[in-house]
Amino acid sequence: MDSPPPPASAPLPAQVLERLRTLLLADRAVAWLRMDEALLLAAAGGDLGAYGLDALEPGKPVVEQVHLLEGLLPLVESPYFVPSVEVIKGRVADLHFWLDGGETWLVLLEVTSERDMARRLQQKAYDMTLLQEREAALNRQLEAARRELEAAHEEVKRWNRTLEERVAAQVAELERMNKLKRFLAPSIAEMLMSSGDENILKRHRRDIATLFCDLRGFTAFSENAEPEEVSELLQDYHAALVPLIQAYEGTLDRFVGDGLMVFFNDPVPCPDSTERAVRLAVAMREAVAALAAAWRKRGHQVGFGIGIAQGFATLGQIGFEGRFDYSAIGTVVNTAARLCEQAKDGQILVTSRVATVVAEMAELADIGMLTVKGLSRPLAVSNVLGLKGGDQKVVWLGRQTH
Amino acid sequence: MTMAVQKKICMLGGFSVGKTSLVKRYVESVFSETYLTTVGVKIDKKAVVLGDKTVNLILWDLAGEDDMSSLRLSYMRGAAGYMLVADGTRPATLEMALSLRKRVEAEYGQLPFALLINKKDLTEQWTVTDADLGKLRGDGWWVQSSSARTGEGVDDAFADLATRILG
Repeated sequence: MDSPPPPASAPLPAQVLERLRTLLLADRAVAWLRMDEALLLAAAGGDLGAYGLDALEPGKPVVEQVHLLEGLLPLVESPYFVPSVEVIKGRVADLHFWLDGGETWLVLLEVTSERDMARRLQQKAYDMTLLQEREAALNRQLEAARRELEAAHEEVKRWNRTLEERVAAQVAELERMNKLKRFLAPSIAEMLMSSGDENILKRHRRDIATLFCDLRGFTAFSENAEPEEVSELLQDYHAALVPLIQAYEGTLDRFVGDGLMVFFNDPVPCPDSTERAVRLAVAMREAVAALAAAWRKRGHQVGFGIGIAQGFATLGQIGFEGRFDYSAIGTVVNTAARLCEQAKDGQILVTSRVATVVAEMAELADIGMLTVKGLSRPLAVSNVLGLKGGDQKVVWLGRQTH
Repeated sequence: MTMAVQKKICMLGGFSVGKTSLVKRYVESVFSETYLTTVGVKIDKKAVVLGDKTVNLILWDLAGEDDMSSLRLSYMRGAAGYMLVADGTRPATLEMALSLRKRVEAEYGQLPFALLINKKDLTEQWTVTDADLGKLRGDGWWVQSSSARTGEGVDDAFADLATRILG
């Protein structure tokens, strides 16, 4: 037969209570304070020194002596419990407050070891959480870096596409340029390319200075010489003159055998076109004179003559699809060509208009009136002996279209 | 002899934001690289002179808030003001500080407080922008970035809070 269970409120035997008291207080510092109604310290005891409270003075306000009580008194509820308070370094207590009559009691029950154990567990948990947070942050950074890299990769791809397009455009432009250069003077081809305006090629009138030159005695030479010799001489001749034409920015209209036609002020404008033509002529004469000396040593008697005229001509594209030339047509062209024909070796024959323009810079010799084929009236002609004061400079005015 | 004024100030914020380091910097002028979590509360005292008054600040350094254990608001009883602390390298701790402020206000009403965005020295990991701080200031918050390691902004924050507590 079962015996009835003891009632829950049955008092514990004194021995059990004593045992519990021993277990509860073992290795713990316990201190207590009692305060009167005015919160003056009435009494204190226990291990006060463990909490740095060994200099308490009864009869004085307790809050002035125990600063952790600031704000807690008077009690607003009883009992009142503040757990795990590190009162001084390394000493942790639970604070138990209660009211008894008009007096306030406080017991400090040490829980340092419990706090330390809780802290060890807490520390591990927090360390782990911090590591996870750090890992998540690093992953976010990694993801951001990956996205940035992807964007950069896309950007590079875009650049490559743009680059390819630009290269293709430039290749196309070069091809067009090469095509243009095949049948147009380099200066005209470049201007067309840079301006992109093919209106330059349309027929128009302009005041130009025209220069014709060719070799004296070339026909006789070519009849007697081997074709290779003729070819070599022409190669030297062109190699000497073409760079000069480019340096003086003349437009090389054409060369046929030993004959060259150059004009100035179209399509590249130059206000000193006549002066340039004369300077170019003098430079050409000097260049060919040097070549002629070498040719003479090889038994070839070849001279050089130049004619220059100035006036309006009609300029533009002449020819047919696949074989266009940019050329000048007009009396000024004929006149220069005829003066060139009349010029003896070393002569630069110019019209009176040219002579007037360059009188300040060139030494001139009056040749008199010449009748030339194709012109109804005789021409007043001068020969350019040289430039005054060795004046050889080319005035650069920059390029612009008309 | 007249007693110096005593005021209780609580340090609140997420875990590992630097509350204990800030108190240590303020009270002892030192900084330790070792992170030791706080369980319960640590109490320190710092006497400061404000004008012609000496004030004993009783600093209650509370355990950090986390997802597992919520703040024991009972520690706040009797506080004259509080210092919210967030970690400028961990945006979530700023959110937590904002949430703590709401809970404290719901329980204890409006008290003087300041918000310290700590760990300013970790510039490479810093995520809080001037715009974030500007917005809080616009809402009337006293906000300051700080570094317990270098001491930047620490003394000013406590002095300002103490001044506002004394009114």
